[in-house]
Amino acid sequence: MGEALISGLANGGIYALLAVGIVLVYKGSRVLNFAQGEMGTFGLFIAFWLIEERGLPWGVGAFGAIAVVALIGLLFERIVVRNMGEASRLTVAVATIGLLLLLLALELKIFGPSPRILRPPIEGLGLHIAGFYVSPTQMLALLTALGLGVALAAFLKRTDFGLGVLAASQDPAATRLVGVRVGRVSAFTWALAGAVSAVAGLLIQPTIGVFAAGFMTGLFVRGLAAALLGGLTSLPGAFIGGVAVGVIEALIGQRYVQSTFPGIQSVAVMVVIVVVLLIRPRGLFGRAAT
Amino acid sequence: MSSQEIRGWPYEGYGLNFRFTKRKVVGVLALIAAAAVPPLLFRSTTLLSSEMALSIARGVCIALMALSLNILLGYAGQISLGHGAFLGIGAFVSGLLTIKLYVPFFFGLAGAAVMGALFAVVLGIPALRLRGLYLAITTIAFAFMMEESWFRWEPLTGGSAGLELPRPRAGTFVFFQHADYLALVLVLLVGYWLFDQNITRTKIGRAFNAIRWDERIAQGFGIPVASYKILAFVLSGALAAMAGATYGHLIGFINSESFAFKSQPNFSLLLVIIIAIGGLGSRAGVVIAAIVYALIPRFLEFLSGWEMIVGAVALIDVMARHPGGIAGAVRERKEKRGERKARAEIDPIDDEGEMPKLPRLPRPSGLPERPELTKGAPLMEVEGLSVTFGGLKAVDEAALTVRAGQIVGLIGPNGAGKTTLFNAISGFVKPDGGKVGFMGAELMERPPHERARLGIGRTFQQIGLTKDLSVRENFLLAQHIAADYPVSKGLFYTPETDGTERAMIRRATTAIEALGFERFTDTPVRNLSHGQQRLVELGCVLVTAPELLLLDEPSAGMSPAAVENLGERLREIRDELGRTVLLIEHHIPLVLDVCDYIYVLNFGKVLAHGTTEEIARKPEVISAYFGEAVS
Repeated sequence: MGEALISGLANGGIYALLAVGIVLVYKGSRVLNFAQGEMGTFGLFIAFWLIEERGLPWGVGAFGAIAVVALIGLLFERIVVRNMGEASRLTVAVATIGLLLLLLALELKIFGPSPRILRPPIEGLGLHIAGFYVSPTQMLALLTALGLGVALAAFLKRTDFGLGVLAASQDPAATRLVGVRVGRVSAFTWALAGAVSAVAGLLIQPTIGVFAAGFMTGLFVRGLAAALLGGLTSLPGAFIGGVAVGVIEALIGQRYVQSTFPGIQSVAVMVVIVVVLLIRPRGLFGRAAT
Repeated sequence: MSSQEIRGWPYEGYGLNFRFTKRKVVGVLALIAAAAVPPLLFRSTTLLSSEMALSIARGVCIALMALSLNILLGYAGQISLGHGAFLGIGAFVSGLLTIKLYVPFFFGLAGAAVMGALFAVVLGIPALRLRGLYLAITTIAFAFMMEESWFRWEPLTGGSAGLELPRPRAGTFVFFQHADYLALVLVLLVGYWLFDQNITRTKIGRAFNAIRWDERIAQGFGIPVASYKILAFVLSGALAAMAGATYGHLIGFINSESFAFKSQPNFSLLLVIIIAIGGLGSRAGVVIAAIVYALIPRFLEFLSGWEMIVGAVALIDVMARHPGGIAGAVRERKEKRGERKARAEIDPIDDEGEMPKLPRLPRPSGLPERPELTKGAPLMEVEGLSVTFGGLKAVDEAALTVRAGQIVGLIGPNGAGKTTLFNAISGFVKPDGGKVGFMGAELMERPPHERARLGIGRTFQQIGLTKDLSVRENFLLAQHIAADYPVSKGLFYTPETDGTERAMIRRATTAIEALGFERFTDTPVRNLSHGQQRLVELGCVLVTAPELLLLDEPSAGMSPAAVENLGERLREIRDELGRTVLLIEHHIPLVLDVCDYIYVLNFGKVLAHGTTEEIARKPEVISAYFGEAVS
């Protein structure tokens, strides 16, 4: 139990990071961003190139990766999302699938299909808790997810700019009328989502070990599940959802033998989420959009 | 605006009214022949190489899959991101039936359809509670469960070793060549197309569209929303399973990963993309997008390795510039052309000046018999009705009586609970307690859609019409309760269906003519002015001749002249049509002008009630509406 809890918490940080990004874009523009995971993979390739091939320090490489991915988010908003205005949100979501495919294609074209390893930000085995090593990166991931969730939530609720982000997602026209520059708000949201995705990629990769094109897409569904469990509109909820998904997965994995039913973990996670949604159709901490 | 130019989107089937005649049968046979003959004619010629036939057949299979999802996503507006699971179910079921039990191909498809429908019911049940993204994740969860459990169960499906699906045979002839199988899938495409047309030109497609637009409006027209949602899932699931099976027999090999979420291509997402490019709800757009998708790689070989990048950029570009997809772009062009023409003709859409009459129609046959009403007898009696939201009592022990043949006003300040009271009567909110008797029936024991059948029509503050659809289609939608043919017959457009639909179209035409809106028959409602939309809404409510009309602020947003006209119309409803009206209204002169009896509501409670003369004299009403008396 304790072991599962620890490893679940460690993995939960990963899902939470992804979920925070998904929730951020959803709050900011009511869109499900299918590229939320893969933007992070692209960032990993940038970081890999800067750190492992150019020999720059980890921090510089990470900063470069975050900047590039934030720029991708910004450009996508400027060129695509802004032009789609009143279009159905489903159509915008399909455009983000386009972004996902574009990033995948670029990764394959530029860097090739072979898996790569990026060194972790902090070396070492980490803490030994309940028969399980929690690596420094895992702790960092968990703390970052929690910090980001709380800080972003506070930023959105307490600052004028943050309130502008929330207002613009509800009613862009009215928000514009009260003097908020809606274009800027939306651009900011997407750039920030890109940055969060890059951070997620950098902190997830050491736990998984290697990365390749499409790396984060596999985790995207878990992140989405975590986001929905927390209620899509709640950033702290995203963190809790992520941890919950991680713990459920670990508990199931520990209880049941893996080989007879390899997919039992994902199935169990999905069952839990569907059950939670059926009892609380807006997730644990979600609020009805008005 | 030349309204004839604009076909009510997303329907394409309405204008053509097929008669059930020999001509129609011949037409269908001709279509089948047109689909099947070319591939057979050109097989193994340079015009249709084997690979080309395979590519086209793949495109057609994807078109079948996308048409299936389009029913759910495009018509009924329910997002499924896990339709790959249905494809897998179909392919495995058909594969197992044909391999293990040696059943013929078409029985394999039938088995696939049955199993797809069964699983669709399971998936449809959560959809009754969940919406939008929450539903989407549930469908992904469903896909995950299928691919991680059943599809990987080796004794059944062979797991990753998979199944080898045979090509169908007819006697000694095996559809082994790709061109032969292409002929077969093209015939299936014709079948899917006609079936889909049957959905869109009957009450089924209209119900789906109303649900996508606004579930409350759908319920107001008497559509059982839950049943139709499940129906959309079942139709979509069964057709998707058959499409998956057809694809499986084309490719010849499927395994646990063939339709998985992680695989390339991810069919679940691919189908959503194809529908978005084709245009949500557009049959033709979806088929074109699917076939183009399958064929385009053949023409992009020169890009050598860049095709993925080009494809992704193209997808983003299409979505950013034409969010409505192919169908949306075509529609925009048509509307632009229509506008140009209209400018030349100078045909202004104006509100005032005309005095339209409301449709005077008898009750449609097929609705339950109603007792004869004596004027002045209680028609609806509300007793002790309470509704709470959180801690707030929106309606508090409200009691009122609506007498037949009267216009009863319901007035009160904003937030007094007037609309909530309507919603409780319509069944959109669940009251904490109370009774509503209507013509001998207890409304609270009946689901919302049945209340419309009993003879209660309702309008909405935000206009209770599906604004995407044309005026005529809204008039047809409004007759849902009169469309008494069973869904099973509607799906095959039987002569009975045809007869009912024709009667409905005639009734719609009569109603539109009464309003004097003939020139807007095919105009989407959103292109009409607010006042015109109100009149269409009133006409739609009256088209099934309900006994009681619940009108929620009909004068909102109307010009003074239009309000005067509305007063005339309300009197017409009472005096000439003999209907009863319960009217929420803020425009007090109108209320005092037309109402026979008035209830004043505040803080959810009935504050006062009496005849119009009595209420007009009450000091608290005077102070609330006309200001304090100068002392």
